[in-house]
Amino acid sequence: MQINTVSTNKPAIKMRKPLNGVRIVRSIASYFLLTFVAVIMIVPFLWSISTALKGQNEAIFSFPPKFIPANITLENFVTVWNSLPIPLYLWNSTVLAFWGVLLPLLFCSLAAFPLARMNFKGKNIVFLIILSTMMIPGEVTMIPIYLILDKLKLIGSYSGVILPGAVSAFGIFLLRQAFVGIPKDIDESAIIDGASPRQVWWYILIPMVRPMLATLAILSFIGAWNNFLWPLLILQDPKTYPLTVGLYDLKGTFVTNTRLVSAGAIIALLPIMIVFVAFQNFFIKGAYSSAVKG
Amino acid sequence: MYKARHAWMFLAPAGVLLATFSLIPALAALVLSFTNYNVFQPVEWVGLDNFIKAFHDKKFWSALGNTFYYWILVTPALVVLPVFIAILVNQKLMGIKLYRLVYYFPALVSVVVTAILWNWMFASDGIFNYIISLININPINWLTSKEFVMVSLALVTVWQGLGYYMLFYLAGLQSVPTDLYEAAELDGAGIWQKHFFITFPMLRPVIFFITVMSTMSAFKEFTLMLAMTEGGPIGASTTVVYLVFEKAFKQLDMGYASAISFLLFIIILILTLINKKALDRTY
Repeated sequence: MQINTVSTNKPAIKMRKPLNGVRIVRSIASYFLLTFVAVIMIVPFLWSISTALKGQNEAIFSFPPKFIPANITLENFVTVWNSLPIPLYLWNSTVLAFWGVLLPLLFCSLAAFPLARMNFKGKNIVFLIILSTMMIPGEVTMIPIYLILDKLKLIGSYSGVILPGAVSAFGIFLLRQAFVGIPKDIDESAIIDGASPRQVWWYILIPMVRPMLATLAILSFIGAWNNFLWPLLILQDPKTYPLTVGLYDLKGTFVTNTRLVSAGAIIALLPIMIVFVAFQNFFIKGAYSSAVKG
Repeated sequence: MYKARHAWMFLAPAGVLLATFSLIPALAALVLSFTNYNVFQPVEWVGLDNFIKAFHDKKFWSALGNTFYYWILVTPALVVLPVFIAILVNQKLMGIKLYRLVYYFPALVSVVVTAILWNWMFASDGIFNYIISLININPINWLTSKEFVMVSLALVTVWQGLGYYMLFYLAGLQSVPTDLYEAAELDGAGIWQKHFFITFPMLRPVIFFITVMSTMSAFKEFTLMLAMTEGGPIGASTTVVYLVFEKAFKQLDMGYASAISFLLFIIILILTLINKKALDRTY
């Protein structure tokens, strides 16, 4: 790791206490441990990348394992891209993720508004029922949800994949907390000025909870992009498969061609990696706020 | 200033969806587990037959055993190891944010990609067999032997969960008031004493939360098995939910599958209560 070699002697600048031998030894030991753990986390990725870059003539498995291919080649990526409808899978995943982010944002923020800022009969009971759905385990509802989707004639359609996840009690809870934090008189003065509740919601409240919306969007994106079980159960036409299910198929078809399967896995990994790097702070925040519910 | 009519209008879409895909299914599952519903025949009420059947079903007991085994392998590791990693990344060092990101990233990888990555690690000429060959141990069939398949799957789960649970501990660590440490330092406490007497007690709520979370997810795990081993070899990695999945969607025995899923739900509930009792007592 580069960071290790570059920065072992630098952190002293940031420390409040004067530099001394114990501190240097401690930070060197820390970097050693940190890097050791990092290597463990990264090795499975490196191994797959290295496998995907190896040509057909080079052995994949050797003792000791070779991480750097003798001849780096992109032919596996080209083969996978050409022999499988990867662009189509990518597009399908994108469509599913788009709805899988947009609908929870819309429905959760709609429902959170009255729960946070209106007084009406039955409000507490409604909120309690919504919270209680968080405790219903997914493995219990899996079968009935499938049967309900079957009754609604949604098996095989994207609606069948999207709708069961289109609203989450957790998301409602998260946004309710955000709405509660906004001063009450804002609504009042807007209503006196002639705004409708819909306008208050859209023009005043929504812009004020943007960070929380971004957090929910990221959490929903990970869920939707990685969704494997529901597309597998619901979708029937291979042309509609998202990347996860397509890759699961690829794993079965090319079971002997390690290089191709690796290349496919790397292609599937890239989008989530890009989103992660671009929005890293929201990811961390999202994980924190999901801790709040516990 | 708002009318009740407005409130219900805003609640309607979410309400309909939650009712359709959460509340009604939960009730339906309970009803289904007392029937013999199997798609082809007319539904018949069978009382407790499904539950009695489960008690005499060897496959159910074996799946339950596998699930407990997987839980014992996974949960202690995921409760303990991330504490140390969180302490490690809670230092003020250059580039520490990058390390946090690297540790967290595996949590974002879909189960299918994870399965592919780790299939190569566990391959007969893969990295694990190379490492153990260095200390003169014969190659192991990580994913294809009854003895090792659960250990291998647990390794994958721990790899994926470390960074995720690390974040919760990190949040907990950062909420520990620093003057506690300073006071302890003045009293002459060493680094381990500080952690033992301040950090761990202060992290108690997080420890409980993570024990519950990782227990629940260990008991529900089955997509990893679906993607890596398909429950094999000879059912050695068939967990309870995998059995539910198999019964419901491969054999279409929906009533029986619902009954099993309910039994599992009750087991998880009991374990959560025990967890709470145990943690209340230790401190």
